[in-house]
Amino acid sequence: MTASPELQMELTLPMVPDIEIAAARAAGNLARELGMASESIDEMAHAMIEACINAREHSGSKDNRIYVKITGTSLGEGNSRIDIWITDHGRGFNVTEARSRRQQLGTVHKRGWGLQIIEAHMDEVSIETSEDGTTIHMVKYGKNDD
Amino acid sequence: MTEELRVSVDRRDGAAIMYTKGYINNVGGEEIANRAYELMDGGVRTLLLNLRETKIVNSIGISILIEIIEKMIDKGGKIAFCCLTPVIHKTFQIMGLANYAAIFTDEDAAVKELAI
Repeated sequence: MTASPELQMELTLPMVPDIEIAAARAAGNLARELGMASESIDEMAHAMIEACINAREHSGSKDNRIYVKITGTSLGEGNSRIDIWITDHGRGFNVTEARSRRQQLGTVHKRGWGLQIIEAHMDEVSIETSEDGTTIHMVKYGKNDD
Repeated sequence: MTEELRVSVDRRDGAAIMYTKGYINNVGGEEIANRAYELMDGGVRTLLLNLRETKIVNSIGISILIEIIEKMIDKGGKIAFCCLTPVIHKTFQIMGLANYAAIFTDEDAAVKELAI
């Protein structure tokens, strides 16, 4: 049986500089309510920041908005789960190409690391993208702080 | 909403320790770069960045740090970091920064190893 989310939050954010911090703080507050350990929250925050920056910088969104949904679920025995959906109404992107980027000193490939960072910091990541927009769904499991 | 980065510098003979406080994003990264390039122009060839009071970075900010490392290497110098949170350390490793700059747990260890 799957536990139902106990906490839920939805945000509509303008695409302005540093708005990713607002999204990360909101998710962090929700995760703290569940008792999630601070290092897991920190990883989740960095993933959210990259997802929001990708939406803001690269989506070409028509409405200049980022839609954020966050749910939190206690799984019992001191474990919790946070689900995050970041949606934009931009033009979509090539996921395979984005995943294949590699950075090397002395090249022009210093940028474009957002997806790799997201996947490294989160436990599950799935992306739905089309010419009508992109939704990235991220999941973080965490042990609770003692 | 702004998360302005503050930078302070402890200048030493041929070296410097730069302390950051706040979010290293594109703006924060450029602030670090400007200060680092001033120090390099002034003869600094060993630069330690102490990120003790920085809890959040993003990939754009890190890409600027990589550019600073490249310029320092071109000048025959070196850049190192200390006092990273575990998540920032992990993010540096993901982006390859850790391959080109030493990372120390604390400032004392960095100062000793770098002889600054």
